[in-house]
Amino acid sequence: MTGVARYSEAVRRLFTTAPRSGFLPDGPGARRHGEAMALDRAAWVRFDLRLHEGRVADARFRAWGCPHLIAACALVAERMVGQTPAEAVVLDPVALARELAAPPEKLGRFLVLEDALHGLAAGMREAQ
Amino acid sequence: MRRAVYLDYAASSPLHPEVAAAMAICLGPQGPHANPSAGHAEGRRAAEAIEQARASVAGLIGARPESILFTSGATESDNLAILGACRAKANHGGHVVTSRVEHRAVIDAFRQLEREGFQVSWLKPTADGRIDPAQVEAALRPETLLVSVMHGNNETGVMNEVAAIGAICRAREVLLHVDAAQSAGRVPVDVAGWNADLVAFTAHKLGGPKGIGALYVRPLPRPVLQPLQFGGGQEHGLRSGTLATHQAVGFGVACRIAAADLMTEATRVRALREKLWRLLQPAAPLWRNGGGEPSLPGILNVGFAGIEGESLLLDLEGAVCASSGSACNAASAEPSYVLRALGLSDLGCQASLRLSVGRFTAERDVDEAAGAILHALERLRGMAPPGALERVR
Repeated sequence: MTGVARYSEAVRRLFTTAPRSGFLPDGPGARRHGEAMALDRAAWVRFDLRLHEGRVADARFRAWGCPHLIAACALVAERMVGQTPAEAVVLDPVALARELAAPPEKLGRFLVLEDALHGLAAGMREAQ
Repeated sequence: MRRAVYLDYAASSPLHPEVAAAMAICLGPQGPHANPSAGHAEGRRAAEAIEQARASVAGLIGARPESILFTSGATESDNLAILGACRAKANHGGHVVTSRVEHRAVIDAFRQLEREGFQVSWLKPTADGRIDPAQVEAALRPETLLVSVMHGNNETGVMNEVAAIGAICRAREVLLHVDAAQSAGRVPVDVAGWNADLVAFTAHKLGGPKGIGALYVRPLPRPVLQPLQFGGGQEHGLRSGTLATHQAVGFGVACRIAAADLMTEATRVRALREKLWRLLQPAAPLWRNGGGEPSLPGILNVGFAGIEGESLLLDLEGAVCASSGSACNAASAEPSYVLRALGLSDLGCQASLRLSVGRFTAERDVDEAAGAILHALERLRGMAPPGALERVR
């Protein structure tokens, strides 16, 4: 049986506070979402966005997975706010994993996060 | 600041203060510091301290002192029993029997035997995690050398009918090795009643120090073992190396304390475990892995739908010390092979938590731990995508 693994300060802070987790509050603009799941990789991610005047006005995430994945989702959701829709869905999973000092075996979960953003991009294209 | 509630007794127990005091005296300037193999007065004093400890260790499991070998822990005891017995009898046949839910110290010893050309029958547990004696009987062959079955499982706490398995083995003249690392000092262990030939256990699971364990070797007829290490010929030539007097003394005191109130403490610990299970019910959907009696009193292995174990453990950091169901070995993120053998899915394994209570666990600890776990579950489930509660289990 395992104990708690080692985590970077950033992962601990983002996991513990989980900023922008939960339901997207009501507000002006269009709502969009993207979701990806790979249960065999222990990762399930959903992003909910509100677009207003060509920018991401608000963003929320829901995630099931390890602390690294939850921290990554929180970081991505934080950075989305204020971005254009095109900017919001761009992600380099390797760079993100490096930024959070995630071990190599966690990269597969970050790819699921990237898939959720791809789903979000597809949804936004469809809406246009 | 109050420390996190320690609910990981199955991994290791805190050192009992009386054990620490006895060891400190041993390590102090007036302690028996000489080599216990030395013939002079100080050496004899160290040897006497060790023999006293050996008698206490033997007493815990209903054995005679001369049937106890000191080792570095249960892993070494398991290895010496399995590899030592099979290698010593290798020319008499090469078939051995064990189960898929043994501790890694046993599993990996049998894998080594496979590499050496032995044939291993790996028994699957029943749905409740036990090894049915009838399965053992069916697996035996005329050339079977050894059966190895654990007494109590380290992950689920379920206990096997070792005495029934022992009777089968004895009737067929097959050696029986029992890993009693989790049960010795927690429930009664009667090696003679089991008809066991070899029984492994360790000090640190029962309030003693880490770094010392024991192997019971049946006295008559004494199974032949091939040593794994060579040197000064200590411990009947089976475990060469200078004995650590302070470790042995600590082990002896821990066994004496455990034996003194074994049933009372088992009853108290079992009640705490059941209280913890009751307090966690608001977290439904949840399930118990390997429930049912007989079981070790202190282990509760519980799965929570919609939860990933690593996140649960980190959420509990600072509040509760426990182990996740994701693995049995610290370096691996693989789902537990024990829980998988019970038929749990990988997701179910990841959603599982092993909580183990013990001698120093108080009612207040259980209340606090349950509160912290319920809080963590609410937060993590609230963060999960819709549908996770139904899909992850």
